[in-house]
Amino acid sequence: MSFEKSAAITRDLSGISREATAFRSHGQPTDQAISEIVRPLSRAEKIWNQAIVRKSLILVLLAIAWQVYAQQLNNPLMFPTFTDTTAALWNAFTKGELGSRVLVSLRILLSGYGIGVLLATVLAALANATRPGNDLLEVLTAMFNPLPPIALLPLALLWFGLGNGSITFVLVHAVLWPVALSTHSGFASISGTIRMVGRNYGLTGLRYLLHILIPAAFPAILTGLKNGWAFAWRTLIAAELVFGVSSGSGGIGWFIYENKNQLEIAYVFAGLLTVIAIGVTMDSLFRLVERRTINRWGMKF
Amino acid sequence: MGSAAPLLDVQGVTIQYKTSAQLVTATWRVGFQADRSDRLVLLGPSGCGKSTLLKAIGGYLTPTEGEITLSGRTISGPGPDRVMVFQETDQLLPWKTVLQNVAFALTASGRASGQNADEQAMIAIRTVKLEKFADSYPHTLSGGMKQRVAIARCLAMQPEIVLMDEPFAALDALTRQQMQEELLELWSRSQFTLIFVTHSIEEAILLGNRIVLLSPHPGQVKEIMDVNLDDPGNRFHGRFDELRDTIHRVLFKDVGDYVI
Repeated sequence: MSFEKSAAITRDLSGISREATAFRSHGQPTDQAISEIVRPLSRAEKIWNQAIVRKSLILVLLAIAWQVYAQQLNNPLMFPTFTDTTAALWNAFTKGELGSRVLVSLRILLSGYGIGVLLATVLAALANATRPGNDLLEVLTAMFNPLPPIALLPLALLWFGLGNGSITFVLVHAVLWPVALSTHSGFASISGTIRMVGRNYGLTGLRYLLHILIPAAFPAILTGLKNGWAFAWRTLIAAELVFGVSSGSGGIGWFIYENKNQLEIAYVFAGLLTVIAIGVTMDSLFRLVERRTINRWGMKF
Repeated sequence: MGSAAPLLDVQGVTIQYKTSAQLVTATWRVGFQADRSDRLVLLGPSGCGKSTLLKAIGGYLTPTEGEITLSGRTISGPGPDRVMVFQETDQLLPWKTVLQNVAFALTASGRASGQNADEQAMIAIRTVKLEKFADSYPHTLSGGMKQRVAIARCLAMQPEIVLMDEPFAALDALTRQQMQEELLELWSRSQFTLIFVTHSIEEAILLGNRIVLLSPHPGQVKEIMDVNLDDPGNRFHGRFDELRDTIHRVLFKDVGDYVI
């Protein structure tokens, strides 16, 4: 900030700064004594500076430790080797049904997530516009945010029966409250100036929400979306483990449960690795969005 | 033009607002007028309600008594016919570039659309000499540059009246002086009507052709002065010191302790 400011002033007073440079160039000794000013780093140093390289190395070491330990244990029923697990993973995706199981899980996750985010936006917008709306949101989030979504599953089964309806209900609950809460606090922290600017343009209602409130609160909203995603993903897998199958097409949690029952432990591990991989992928997707938006806008807090 | 009804008419305006504990009277029966192309300055110490008055003209506050009219119509809410420039440098939308900020003001308020809005925005950005930064995001600009964008955005909308709330107060002294000169230069090009709030006597004399002097707690009009220097913006004008002394005397006549 201070650098940019001084740069701007330099530009503004370019006449003066030109004089100053001319002045400086008169009696200064040159930098002969310093042997090197800029030296490119060696190739090895450059590679080592890449976080992805260092983190991949950790993964490799973990895989080796796993392999060595599992081989010594020699008990594939308790702890299959790394190679057995990767083989199972490969088989499950190419010959088995893991791919379709993943799709089932993601589809239901997206619908639950979508409904949850939409409801959260409506609630937060109401809370921003009116005092009763504000009180309503604060009471509801205070009540339901601490309630683990999975605790609602028995009730959901009673209301919606075995199937996607119950899981969606639980997912909406997992997403709605954290997203509503952070969207609400995001709206509340928008400066009065930005609000006045928006209203100065004559923006009201939905246009005001879409063009001013949501982008201005985006750092908080993105945090909420990230948390909501994490809650939803964990809740989904847990719920699928409990029952998760309807008309023969279960999700990835059910895949894990089924294989455990059949003592195909390498496939259980393969399922868990898939859960991890999807979680990591989504996380880096969020980080990409963060880089493209709030980092670029200088809004990261 | 002078004999016609004034462009902006503030009549007997009292503004009160509630904090969580009390009801505060910010201004008490304030009245003044501005004609087209006036540069009217609201000058007074902290607590004289000058910013509150400006917000009321902007339509963000409703007077509890009195009326504010623009071209004969009572002001009832914010609108693009009165564009505000604020002191805070966060008035630009941080998620839009300089060009997008100006163009969005035009499209959102329905003044222009599409390509046309971009072209008009670019013209406005050129008048404040920031065309090189058209694609920069606001957080990469200095404070003075941000205020120039805000002024460009405001002028691009071609409002009936421009409202400025101490727009240069947060800038360093050198930049502030430069911005004052640039503002006068912009005014001499398009002769927009300006209402300018400041607590600096010098700034008031430099920029205004009419100065409304306000006293604090609650804000009341002390005096309305026509400046009409033949050479606005010239701080070495012969009458400058004389005016400053007069204003100083009026403002501090019976209140010795207020810090300006």
